[in-house]
Amino acid sequence: MSCLLPHAQHPIPAAAGIGLRAPHIARVLQERPRVPWFEVHSENYFAAGGPMHAALERIRADYPLSLHGVGLSLGSADALDVAHLGRLRQLVDRYQPALVSDHICWGAIGGIHLNDLLPLPYTWEALDLVVSRVQQVQDALGREFLVENVSSYLNFRHADMPESAFVAELVRRSGCGLLLDVNNVYVNSVNHGFDPGEYLRAMPHASVREIHLAGFLRKDRLPVPLLIDSHSRPVADEVWALYREALELCGPQPTLIEWDQDIPELEVLLAEAARAEEELHACRTAIA
Amino acid sequence: MPAAPRLHELQQGFAAAVLGHGDDVAAWIDGAGLDPAARLRIYRNAVAATLEAALHDTFPTVHALVGEDFFDAMAARYRQRHPSTCGNLQSFGGALPGFIEAMPQARSLGYLADIARLDWLRQLTVLAPDATPADAHAAADAAAVEPRQLHLRLHPSLHLLHSRWAVLTLWRWCQSPVGPAPRPDRGGESVLLWRDGGEVVMAAVDPATFRCIDVLAAGGDVAAAHRAAMDLDAAFDLQPCLRDLLVQGLVVAFNNQEGCT
Repeated sequence: MSCLLPHAQHPIPAAAGIGLRAPHIARVLQERPRVPWFEVHSENYFAAGGPMHAALERIRADYPLSLHGVGLSLGSADALDVAHLGRLRQLVDRYQPALVSDHICWGAIGGIHLNDLLPLPYTWEALDLVVSRVQQVQDALGREFLVENVSSYLNFRHADMPESAFVAELVRRSGCGLLLDVNNVYVNSVNHGFDPGEYLRAMPHASVREIHLAGFLRKDRLPVPLLIDSHSRPVADEVWALYREALELCGPQPTLIEWDQDIPELEVLLAEAARAEEELHACRTAIA
Repeated sequence: MPAAPRLHELQQGFAAAVLGHGDDVAAWIDGAGLDPAARLRIYRNAVAATLEAALHDTFPTVHALVGEDFFDAMAARYRQRHPSTCGNLQSFGGALPGFIEAMPQARSLGYLADIARLDWLRQLTVLAPDATPADAHAAADAAAVEPRQLHLRLHPSLHLLHSRWAVLTLWRWCQSPVGPAPRPDRGGESVLLWRDGGEVVMAAVDPATFRCIDVLAAGGDVAAAHRAAMDLDAAFDLQPCLRDLLVQGLVVAFNNQEGCT
């Protein structure tokens, strides 16, 4: 699976990769599993040096890489944190990843960081702001940036549009790429009572560059159904079904298995990736 | 119903709710079958869990010493008093040692703040920039320089901690607590931390050696470092101290030679 010339143009294949987390790094370095690509959390590599970078340098030499951020806070009403953006730029310059992304959310206000992916009100005001922020990021990085739809547990009363319209318009107006998290679409469809298929159909399919899959937790004993995007379990059957729909609409796309809590053995992630690979294969076959 | 809030006002209200300073923002949340405050609580709990887990990861030895309940209560108070100010959680927790020092509940555990300092310095050591050690030629050239005019640039991963407690001995015992715990008041320890091949190395050194390296690390010249060490121990020998720094790869450059990468 190694590539001879790992450079920026080495694309991420339309195949199933996994999110590389600390407990698996040593095994990946030692065993070089057949994984088509890896994604890491950008902020984990913001420090200037050390063993994390030494490991990522070696992994980057043999695998296509995607950098996925959780801390840019694109939707904060305060100015974008230029120091954070500067460190991201350094990281992008150093590793020349094939994809760079963060979330359609906010996480900081007034200098206080909540270090979470908090929901935006889907208003015209928020849309204008996030469009300008995404353009600022793409200008700073000098390349296409991907934004990801987030899971959420509440809606604001004063929204001007549904989430799907906000996401589609953001991508259209800023010219960025879309990281379509199919699990988040499903989680939100349950939490907010909308048709997830309709959401997928409203997406700008030609702008989708990557798909995320993960597992959720179901909250019991509540008067309404509520799913928590925990990244702690296998991908649910309903999400696999929605993933098939997404592939039919967008064609085969680089797909990532994310698992961030109660992280299991690498084999479990590889098995999830293999299942995504079967879906991708079926999609390719259907197209052919 | 008042006019819809602007984004800034909404986010300030949301942050206040998440930090436990009032749920006014709930008026703008569609409950959709749930109390809006209950929806906000999902975020409050998630934010708290993330920050407390970050402290847990960064201060494992403090956690081992005080146990789950004490640590969780302390972490909850800490994040309320010192909210995160960075989008990167690796920066969260730097004020915990001072916070522990001021905690009435930790007054009988005087050494705990220094254990926290050691945990924190280990993190800084892991994340420090890389640097190439000075080579033998550079060292030979430096030997000809007057000590008063000779400065050493030390490896960026090198950190120092002087404690009135047996902080390193206690830290090591916590990693495999076999046999009786060492007495923290059995004598102070001066600890050097640095990175070697990706691993954090820690070593206790005598007070004079510590003082010498401390002065060098702060940018003092070799003669000043020597004098400071001699003030503590008239028999202090400079040469072995400098040799050890070189052998361990902790000297990156002499004077203003290029060395950092």
